[in-house]
Amino acid sequence: MNIAVCIQTQAFDMAYGYEDLLENRSDVGAVVSFTGLVRDFNESPEVTGLTLEHYPGMTERTLEDIGQQAWQRWSLQGIRIIHRVGYMAPGDPIVRVSVASAHRRDAFEACDFIMDFLKTRAPFWKKEHAREGDYWVKERASDQQDATRW
Amino acid sequence: MVDVGAKQSTRREAVASGRIMMQPQTLHLLTDGALPKGDVIATARIAGIQAAKRTHELIPLCHALALSKVTVDFELDTQNSCVHVSAMCRLTGQTGVEMEALTAVSVACLTLYDMCKAVDKSMRIEGVQLDSKVGGKSGDYQRGSYDLEVPPIVTGESAAGEVQLGERCVGECVRVKFLAELRERLGHSDLSIALDALETKDVAGLKALLAAREDNFDVLRDQRTLCAVNQVMVNDSARLTDNDEVAFFPPVTGG
Repeated sequence: MNIAVCIQTQAFDMAYGYEDLLENRSDVGAVVSFTGLVRDFNESPEVTGLTLEHYPGMTERTLEDIGQQAWQRWSLQGIRIIHRVGYMAPGDPIVRVSVASAHRRDAFEACDFIMDFLKTRAPFWKKEHAREGDYWVKERASDQQDATRW
Repeated sequence: MVDVGAKQSTRREAVASGRIMMQPQTLHLLTDGALPKGDVIATARIAGIQAAKRTHELIPLCHALALSKVTVDFELDTQNSCVHVSAMCRLTGQTGVEMEALTAVSVACLTLYDMCKAVDKSMRIEGVQLDSKVGGKSGDYQRGSYDLEVPPIVTGESAAGEVQLGERCVGECVRVKFLAELRERLGHSDLSIALDALETKDVAGLKALLAAREDNFDVLRDQRTLCAVNQVMVNDSARLTDNDEVAFFPPVTGG
C-alpha cells in the first residue's frame, strides 16, 4: 500500500503530494486532488482565522485507516493526505488529499470517499476567530449524510 | 580547512542513524535473501564502512581521519516496513567524527536502495541524523527524546497554556482527557481517576462517577459526546483497566 499521512503546523505547498505520487513511475493514469481552504465567512460573516486542534496519535491512525479502506475499495496506486493544525488565516490550505490511479473514476471516487470520512471520523476540531469573538465550529448534518453514501 | 594542529587529541565517538522506507514485499524479499543482486545487508555494511573512511573526499572541508573503529548496523522493521541503519565511528584525534558517521549511514542507505531498486523504486531514505557525539571542545551531544515526541494538542487561544492536572491517585487508575470544546466547557484538561472508585469498571461507570462529582459532567452522557479508550472509539460498555487513556470529545469538524 502506497499511503502517506502527514499532520503539521507549518503551511504546506498547494501541490503537495503530486510529484511524490508520480515519482519514478509511468503507470499512473490519473491524479485527483482535493484542497480545503480557510474561508473568511462561515458560521460568522467575518472570520479572521481559525485554530485547529487534533488528538495526536489517534488522528494519524484514523487517517491511515481511512486511506487503507479506500485502498481496499478502489484500484489505486497511491494516496497522500496532509492536514494542518494550529492557527491558520483565511485563504490558507487546511487539508489536501491526492489519489493516483490508472483510470480516473477510481481516483475521483476514492478522493471523495476519503474527504467524507476525514470530515466525519478524524479527530480534528475547528475554533473560528471572528470579530465577535471565538467559537467552536458545529458539526454539519450534511457531512454525516455525505458519509453514509459509501 | 580549519587548522586543528593545536587541538588536544581526545577520544571521540559519534553515532548517526537513518532509515529507508520500502514496500512490505520488498522487505520480505530482503529478509529472505531473495533479491537479484545478492546479500543486500552485507554489501550495504561494507559500503557504509568504506564511505566513512572516504568522507574527506566527498565533503570539501573535512579532514582525512584515521578511524579506529567503524560499525554499521541494520534493523529490519516489518511493522513500519523499513530498515533502520545506524553507524558508529570512533577515533582518538583532533577533530570530530560526526560527518563520518552521517556519511556511513547515507551511503549504507543509498546502497540498500541500489540493491533493491530492481523490485521497488518507491523506496524513500529519511531521518538521517546525528544521534550522539562524545569528546572534543564543543562537548557531548545527545539527541533529546523530545525530537521523537508527538506534537502537543493544539489549543484555542482562550485556553492557551492551560493544562490542568487532576489529582494523582494511588494504585490503579485511568487517565481521562477532555478535548477541544469539552475541555473549555468543563474547565478540565486531564484527570486521574482511581479504578476502585468506579461502580462498574467501564466507560458508563466513569461517566456516572464524574457526573456525581460535578453537574457539568452531565454533558458526557450527551449523545453527541464521543469517547475513545487508548485512542480507539468505544461505547459505554467498553471495559476500563489500569492506566487506560480515556478521551472525551465533541463531534469532529476537520477538513
